[in-house]
Amino acid sequence: MIPISYFLILSAVLFALGMVAFFVKKDLITMFMAIEIMLNAANLAFITLAKSASSLNGQVIVFFVITVAAAEASVGLAIILLIFKQKKSVKTEDISLMKG
Amino acid sequence: MNSFWALSPLLLVVLAALVVLLLEVFLKKETKDYLAYLSSLFLAGCGIILMIFWDKNYSYFDGNFLLDNLALVFSLLLTLATILVILISIKYISLQGANYGEYYALLLFALSGMLIMVSSQSLLIIFLGLEILSISSYSLAGLRRENPESSEAAIKYFLLGSFATAFLVYGLALMYGSTHSLEISSIIRFLTTGTHLNLMLLVGLGLIIIGFAFKIALVPFHMWTPDVYQGSPTPVTAFFSVGPKVVGFAVLLRIFHFYWETAFHTQTLMTALWVISVLTMVVGNLIALRQTNVKRILAYSSIAHAGYLLIALIAQDPTSLIFYLAVYLFMNIGAFTAVTSLGRKGKEYVELNDYSGIGFKYPWIGATFAVFLFSLAGFPPTGGFLAKFFVFASAVRKGFTPLVIIAVIASLISVFYYLRIIVTMYMKEPSPSMQILTRNPVLFSVLFLCLYGVLQLGIYPGNVLGFIRQAVAAMPLL
Amino acid sequence: MIELFLVFLVFGLLGVVLVFMNKLLGPKKPNPIKESPFECGSPYLQEGINPVPIMYYMVAFLFLLFDIEVVFFFPWALVFKEMGSTALVIMFAYIFVLVVGFVYAWKKGAFKWEL
Repeated sequence: MIPISYFLILSAVLFALGMVAFFVKKDLITMFMAIEIMLNAANLAFITLAKSASSLNGQVIVFFVITVAAAEASVGLAIILLIFKQKKSVKTEDISLMKG
Repeated sequence: MNSFWALSPLLLVVLAALVVLLLEVFLKKETKDYLAYLSSLFLAGCGIILMIFWDKNYSYFDGNFLLDNLALVFSLLLTLATILVILISIKYISLQGANYGEYYALLLFALSGMLIMVSSQSLLIIFLGLEILSISSYSLAGLRRENPESSEAAIKYFLLGSFATAFLVYGLALMYGSTHSLEISSIIRFLTTGTHLNLMLLVGLGLIIIGFAFKIALVPFHMWTPDVYQGSPTPVTAFFSVGPKVVGFAVLLRIFHFYWETAFHTQTLMTALWVISVLTMVVGNLIALRQTNVKRILAYSSIAHAGYLLIALIAQDPTSLIFYLAVYLFMNIGAFTAVTSLGRKGKEYVELNDYSGIGFKYPWIGATFAVFLFSLAGFPPTGGFLAKFFVFASAVRKGFTPLVIIAVIASLISVFYYLRIIVTMYMKEPSPSMQILTRNPVLFSVLFLCLYGVLQLGIYPGNVLGFIRQAVAAMPLL
Repeated sequence: MIELFLVFLVFGLLGVVLVFMNKLLGPKKPNPIKESPFECGSPYLQEGINPVPIMYYMVAFLFLLFDIEVVFFFPWALVFKEMGSTALVIMFAYIFVLVVGFVYAWKKGAFKWEL
């Protein structure tokens, strides 16, 4: 039996990794993947805590988070595609029309 | 009272959105005006239903969806804001190359998300409502598909918005872990039955607050605001500056309302909110000083206003918070309506230089815009003055005098940049090349409606305050 | 145990050192032909990754959405017996909204491969 805390630490580490990647990476798609890692870290935490509370609620919540993430992914990828059509690039340094 | 009718305003809005979507693809008409009038008609119906439900306390889904008076006040504000935004977009979207019927459907979906958020009693459902709002907002920001600024606004809003969502979800997970529930009532029960203020709960609450702080643009989570406000279509900017802010504060009110007694005595969270409020006011107003784009100035001004609103939250005064939000709705939508009106086909005037001499060339637009700016700056006899006065007065009563002093200094700084726009409008020669479309009766009626709202709330606020007091009195457990 | 650990440590470090020695000490004389993907003499004809037709993305996004939304059928099926007819009404309302979205995408021409 693996202790609950291991899973929580894993999810915290995943979340932190996603956060770091979001700030370090200069590519829209990779930044989006970082966000997905953070969301899945939260999902892991939900499932772990639901298991420790021996309730089903937490696992149902994960369903909701997954669907929300999918809806977000299709809108977000469509926007990234729009950017690519306009600029032929998905690098953050090319997206700097507005400043100040 | 448990009744299916509790869902009717929400269902009406969703139905309107679906009808608009289907009409758009089946009729394929060139002009989309009829969709705008149809959606405002649906929303007017929704508003009437909300008013009929006053004092009825309908609820559904075992009390998880509750239309108490507080939810009704927020729902009415949001519905009104959406109607105004729809009306000012009618000419705009065809002039600025975003003539899609989906525009209205997306606005209605965003509204339905917000209605879910203000009337739900479960943090999970609040999260789902927030996502409905956010996903519609990302698409709305990028609606001018040919315009690179609009797409940039969309991608920035999308990336930072979903980043905030991840924080929110993780916060919800930790909250669920420590209280074993996401229903606000069970969390209250958990907090009041014992001294279980553990680290997990505190971190979870902090992450949830960070998630919402992104949405209502509190410093240091405000980076997306100016760019998104500048790039989005102007009526959509008006929507962004009011909708998410009202709904964010509504949810924070619900969260803090149960947390005030337990957590604020421990001071951790209180200090954090104090610092965020000061940062928001000071940074928002200082950066606004060196902007030259009117939409960006208004963006930073809306950041600063979030700081003032946070003072009301810290001072535990829901009445003045809601009153401030009502005034803010009228003056901000009014200001953005004035900006929207300055445009013609394929051209928008948003730089400060374009505004020189507007006051004489287009006297009505200039005069009403000046009143909205005075109200945003907080001059009497406008609503902005009274709203700030109520918030600051209750903060002083609760012993937050240093915070109020900083807030007053910050709003003095803000007077500079509001007056700069007015000075440009009235003290400079008009540029002859500037031409706008003046035949836009719907937009002008919205302009005057907002003017009426700002002055009514500033001179005779009694009625509205009475309603707000009733709504706050109905809040459980205060 | 400790010997095993030492073996891994020493040889692991040695590997890392050798990799970086190569990078540090090796001679570097780049020229355009060496930089090209194939060094077999013939110039390459096209980029390695070609853009796929835009309709491919449309179909992929729509598939992603409709595929994931169906996930709610699983928990619904679990509680169907206890909830009875209410569950049926709720699921029909849900499917109705999905169908409206489907009809919208269809009429909008999202499923036509040729533009």
